[in-house]
Amino acid sequence: MFQKHIDLTTALRPSYLPDEDLLFVQDNVGLYEGKYKLPNQQNGQIYLTSHRICYVDKAEPRKHSAALDLKDVDRFEFYGGFLKSSAKITLIPKPAKRPLLQPRSPGLGGLSPQSSSTSSQHQDGPPRASPVEPPPASTATWVCTICTFSNPVPSNFDPTTANAHTPLPPCLACGIKPTLTHVLKATISNAASRQPSTPTLQTPLPVRPKPATEFSSRLDRARNSSPRGTDPDASFQCPRCTFLNHPSLLSCEMCGGPLISHDLPAELTPQARTHTESPGPVLNSMIAAPPGADNPESAKISFRGGGEKIFYERLKGSMTQRKWLLQGAPPIPKASRPGESPLNGPSSGPAAGSSTPARPKLGGIAGLEHHSQAVRKNNELVIGTAFEDLEALMASAKEIVALADTFARQVKGAGGSSSTSSASENALLADSVSQLGLIATKDIVGSSSGSGGADSLYLSELARTLAEFLTDDRRGVLRRAGGIMSLVDLWAAFNRARGGVELVSPADFEKAVALWGKLGLPVRLRTFKSGVKVVQGCDRTDETTIKALLAWLRDLHEFPPEREVAWDWRRFGRGVTARDVAERFGWSIGVAEEELEMAEERGVLCREEGIEGLKFWENFIDTGEGKGYKDPERVKQERVLKVLKESGFI
Amino acid sequence: MSTPPLSTTPTPASSSSPFPFPPEYSFPPFFTRQTNLTTHHAQLTKWSALVLAYARHHRILKLSLSPNSPATSTRMPPKDDDQAKQEIDTSELFHNARLNRQLAARDVRAVIDFLRKDGRAEYVAGTSSAGTDGEGSGSGGEGDMAWVYWRTPEEWAALVEGWVDATGQKGSVLTVYELVEGEGTKGAEFHGLDQELLLKALGVLVKRGKAQVFGQEDSQGVKFF
Repeated sequence: MFQKHIDLTTALRPSYLPDEDLLFVQDNVGLYEGKYKLPNQQNGQIYLTSHRICYVDKAEPRKHSAALDLKDVDRFEFYGGFLKSSAKITLIPKPAKRPLLQPRSPGLGGLSPQSSSTSSQHQDGPPRASPVEPPPASTATWVCTICTFSNPVPSNFDPTTANAHTPLPPCLACGIKPTLTHVLKATISNAASRQPSTPTLQTPLPVRPKPATEFSSRLDRARNSSPRGTDPDASFQCPRCTFLNHPSLLSCEMCGGPLISHDLPAELTPQARTHTESPGPVLNSMIAAPPGADNPESAKISFRGGGEKIFYERLKGSMTQRKWLLQGAPPIPKASRPGESPLNGPSSGPAAGSSTPARPKLGGIAGLEHHSQAVRKNNELVIGTAFEDLEALMASAKEIVALADTFARQVKGAGGSSSTSSASENALLADSVSQLGLIATKDIVGSSSGSGGADSLYLSELARTLAEFLTDDRRGVLRRAGGIMSLVDLWAAFNRARGGVELVSPADFEKAVALWGKLGLPVRLRTFKSGVKVVQGCDRTDETTIKALLAWLRDLHEFPPEREVAWDWRRFGRGVTARDVAERFGWSIGVAEEELEMAEERGVLCREEGIEGLKFWENFIDTGEGKGYKDPERVKQERVLKVLKESGFI
Repeated sequence: MSTPPLSTTPTPASSSSPFPFPPEYSFPPFFTRQTNLTTHHAQLTKWSALVLAYARHHRILKLSLSPNSPATSTRMPPKDDDQAKQEIDTSELFHNARLNRQLAARDVRAVIDFLRKDGRAEYVAGTSSAGTDGEGSGSGGEGDMAWVYWRTPEEWAALVEGWVDATGQKGSVLTVYELVEGEGTKGAEFHGLDQELLLKALGVLVKRGKAQVFGQEDSQGVKFF
């Protein structure tokens, strides 16, 4: 399956991978596979993260939720909606995993045994250096700004790790060195366009019409490849220079551009047939997507409540950034990590070379000074390159974030040396927030045009975030407060945990908290008689609280009081103050008072106001038998009558 | 919890025997006004039962509501002892000395009000106007004393009527003093009853047409039909 099952958090949201960022949430969406609706996934929320698209079903979240990894997505298309059909985004998966160097089509099956020899032969064949490289990065080209010659990006160039010290080869035609940002841009735009464009090359016999909704970055390629569709003979047009190559070639004879194609996942085609025999005419005629037979598993997200445009924009962004590649990427700065030996090979360039030889010569304070100077220099460089260009900033985003982190820590260390405990607590909180990573903010949540109004989705997301915040075991926010916490305390803790950005307003907060019950989350809001609002786990109801209180009070019948008392403590136990209860159950005194009053309200406890303050007792006043005052005389008469009846006189 | 020992009181208990207080009496919260309405109602019920049982035990007619220590209440002397003093200190009713807990005056009033709703109590209208207007109990209600009807005027009336029937006095004329203090009524339940209360009881009989009251303030007579 293209879709995978996902784990949900306690708040019924997808649990995220490390480093995963939530980008967008939209409710009221349905899923399609191919052209057909998936019956169980027609109303839910879609979560776009940097790594995945997660669908969480509204009715049966644990059963029907699914996700698909963006890295498996080959391309995606947008359909704006027409009349009754709502806007949709089609995600076309990458074909089945296969090495890139394989026969390009079933029609050329005869060539398949020779594929290895063909590829090697062509590696030697073209006159220019490094014509075809197997790794995907090598297929990128950069256009020289001086002579407009298309140069291949070197195979060892990795956009995620590149920095100013990465050696770049000069232009092959004119010998002018390119700038780093130029190459970076080329690589990134290539990464964005390569995926969608390759399928157009995969069949030598032109069958596939280009999707109408191509975005601009690859428009030129699309234009170039379109005439190929009219060419009946089996020659293969180069997407870069439009030269018609022989189909068995792997790179263009003219310009050396790659002619890699993909096999159609032919074995998957029959699967589509299992759904229904006739495809819906509406879908077929209106969507400019390729016919279902080409991509049997393409998934469609139907946006019935709007929000498709933002989703599309953000999806485009995350597909361009390809954050999943960053995972496990080696850190770049060399000098800033003294323990790290310059293992980065060619990419650890002059900076490593300059600082490494100097280091062994110095020692003591001078060494430290030199070292910190080197660190500063490197930081300066990193920041300098990062801000040079937006795309470059994106490429070195991880770096910058790490730096910002260390700066923040340094500032904190310098300023807040007064109370180390609170500083560490802050650090812990901030840490766990970044671990949690996902915080609903207004701009990542799509505005629903539906019944709930614009804010409802934001509020429900906030409610879920809060529920997660409370129930998170690492943090134990609720547990530390004895299972119950006043709303104001929670608001403060939550905003503090956000680290001062994207703070939640009290009004939104209250509204979100009120949604817990409706969303079926494991925490609930309780309003005491006095109006004090607290949050507590759903399992802690008034009944359980009363049970705990009563059990304790009953215990007091067994244990003699500390000092002599005038009443029969074996019968009545003793009274307890709110302070006693707070100590006993780990609540705050305010909460203990409220809980006691709640129990009193239920008639379980009664009060005693004395010189020792307000005490609460087990209720021996209202024991049930006193209900409805009866005339004692009549009671006596009734008793006599009863006795007479029993003895048979009446 | 066992029922308060109400049923034992009508038996001729000597005035010296202490009143057996119910267990709630030694439950400290019993002396605090409860905020929970249900509990409060139960509290009032229990207090009313206690007050009535206590009054019945000591044959108290007018209960002193004074929170001060010597709360002098008026009572009927026990049947067998005509000479017993007519006044008794009832401060122990609302003040548990052993617990050092006391029912506040406000709450005492609440208990009496509760009894009034049941027709089991009435405030003694100001000391000066005692006896003139038996019906005007609700108007002032500020007195320190309250009638506690462990027998309501109707019940007293029934007793008087029963005695008249039993002794064959129908049609005869008796003075009120005779009914209360006379030799003839010795041994009857209402012997020694407060005159004011007896007149209230007789008023009930008058309304039913069973008696007629005539005469002046101090020398009222009654004729039974």
